[in-house]
Amino acid sequence: MICVNDIEKEIGVFVPMEDDDVLVCRCEEVTKGEIRRAVHAGMTTIEEMRRFLRCGMGLCQGQTCGKLVKGIVAAELKINPLELEPAVSRAPMRPVEMKVMGKDGGQGGDAV
Amino acid sequence: MERYDVIVVGAGPAGLSAAIETAKCGMRTVVFDENAKPGGQLFKQIHKFFGSKENKARIRGYRIGEELLAEAERSGVKVVLNATVMGLYAQKEITVRIGDAIKHYKADNVLIATGAAESVVRFPGWTMPGVIGAGAAQTMMNLHHIRPGKRILMLGSGNVGLVVSYQLLQAGCEVVALVDAAPRIGGYGVHAAKVSRCGVPFYLSHTIVQAEGTDHVTGVVIGEVGPDWKVIKGTEQHFDVDTICLAVGLSPMSQLLKQAGCAMKDTKGGYVPECDAYGRTSMDGIYVAGDVSGIEEASSAMLGGSIAGITIACDSGYLADGSEQIAKYEKALGNLRKGMFAPENRGKKITQTEEGIAISETLLECGYVADSEIERYPGVTHMEGVHPVIECTQNIPCNPCQDVCPKKCITIGNNITALPVVDSKSQCIGCGMCVAACSGQAIFLIQEDIGDGMGTVTIPYEFLPLPEKGQIGIALGRDGQPVCKAEVLDIKSSNAFDHTNLLTMKVPRDMVMRARFFKS
Repeated sequence: MICVNDIEKEIGVFVPMEDDDVLVCRCEEVTKGEIRRAVHAGMTTIEEMRRFLRCGMGLCQGQTCGKLVKGIVAAELKINPLELEPAVSRAPMRPVEMKVMGKDGGQGGDAV
Repeated sequence: MERYDVIVVGAGPAGLSAAIETAKCGMRTVVFDENAKPGGQLFKQIHKFFGSKENKARIRGYRIGEELLAEAERSGVKVVLNATVMGLYAQKEITVRIGDAIKHYKADNVLIATGAAESVVRFPGWTMPGVIGAGAAQTMMNLHHIRPGKRILMLGSGNVGLVVSYQLLQAGCEVVALVDAAPRIGGYGVHAAKVSRCGVPFYLSHTIVQAEGTDHVTGVVIGEVGPDWKVIKGTEQHFDVDTICLAVGLSPMSQLLKQAGCAMKDTKGGYVPECDAYGRTSMDGIYVAGDVSGIEEASSAMLGGSIAGITIACDSGYLADGSEQIAKYEKALGNLRKGMFAPENRGKKITQTEEGIAISETLLECGYVADSEIERYPGVTHMEGVHPVIECTQNIPCNPCQDVCPKKCITIGNNITALPVVDSKSQCIGCGMCVAACSGQAIFLIQEDIGDGMGTVTIPYEFLPLPEKGQIGIALGRDGQPVCKAEVLDIKSSNAFDHTNLLTMKVPRDMVMRARFFKS
């Protein structure tokens, strides 16, 4: 793993690109430029990216943009996307309202 | 908390097939699916499937879905719809959202068959209304009978892009271009050919530069990509469209498995669980089947599901010996994974058929077999009287044409991927069963001489309204370009043809090997 302090030594300084303002995560409205800048700020894993920018944390839970974000981060780090640690997967698998979550009956829940 | 012997997540082809097997062995089986309708993607598939009798070849996907559901019901499988599985925890406990409640269930075995979701690509404007997935277009057309748009550009030349383009044409949309960044068409040549002869141009080595419009798509710009996959300046061209359809691959929906703690691996085909050939993951009692374990198609998902179901029954002691059944399904699965499009051939450039015949370059690069190339394939013959001409030029595992011919004119043999051969000694009676049975719509009946310098061509025709007998129109070539005037002599429809109509048109003798579509 790249040390945060050395990151720009490794990958160079941030260079603006023509399509930096294209949306990548549409649920949380995160652009390509924001993701690239975040890499230069030291976010080198998808997990950090999610916490920092919230990309992949919205309604579709990264089902749409996950691959795109991975591609952009990997390209910025100049590595193969397969080398990036995939994001952690947590319940609930789908967005759910708190009022529904709150009614979780636990193990004693009723059967269908 | 309710307990089951088997909980299946996902009521698509894989999940239902597995559930049928476990229920048949006497296991209490429940299937949860987050959708309002079961069947996964099967009910959107209005085309005929490839393969052999054993894997339901030449049956349309939605019919297979109906059969599968009926069998699940007969076997005692309980299917719970609008039920979203939220998490998979220790001791195979799952939480399911049903309506406004979260319920807990436990099972000795959990099979994850959640399938896959569509991938996207980004370009300026890709988030505008009017940019949709090919699967979404299929849902709109084939489930809800809504036309997704009037003028459409399709990105992606895999089987999904090709099949959905054809369905868009059937729904009355205009497909202005089929675009792919790859230099060669990814899907079956026969699927490309049937889109091509309707007049849809293919743009290989091209990609979308941007979608135009302010609050919805009004146009699109594409450009040619160079070896570095970047658009070459000056190659841009514009199309007026209201819809851009993306068919750029699928990603397995494997999050539940990862969350549960199964060993995973990241592959080019997506993030998938480590599993053996029977669907066992690294965790005891957790199984997988279908696209979630690696993208294939519905026929292999059903077989994989059946294998996983029998494995679950064996592992749990409900079935003493499933080896015979598993061997049967494995053989069928092995057959499906043969040929030029077999998993091990992905990304490889194949230049020759198994028979040693050169593959049509025009087919790979433009979507149709050129007139100068077609004569070299064994299904293309010339003889007196009516006879089939089979324009099947790639080795794919499919053989219904051989099964349906009552006169045994067509031979594929034991090797299911072999190109069909038309026997010059057999007597074709012109029944047209082969034309209707070919899932790739690659068989035509030709009569080279009916007198007066004319001949006839019978084509599979799946568009409405049907032309009238006697109607004069234009015959289009394999490339979708007009070749001559054509008169409709006959339209045959029959239950045995299953919605494929046989249109016979009269064309000049020298056009019988060129005319492949009728435009009124």
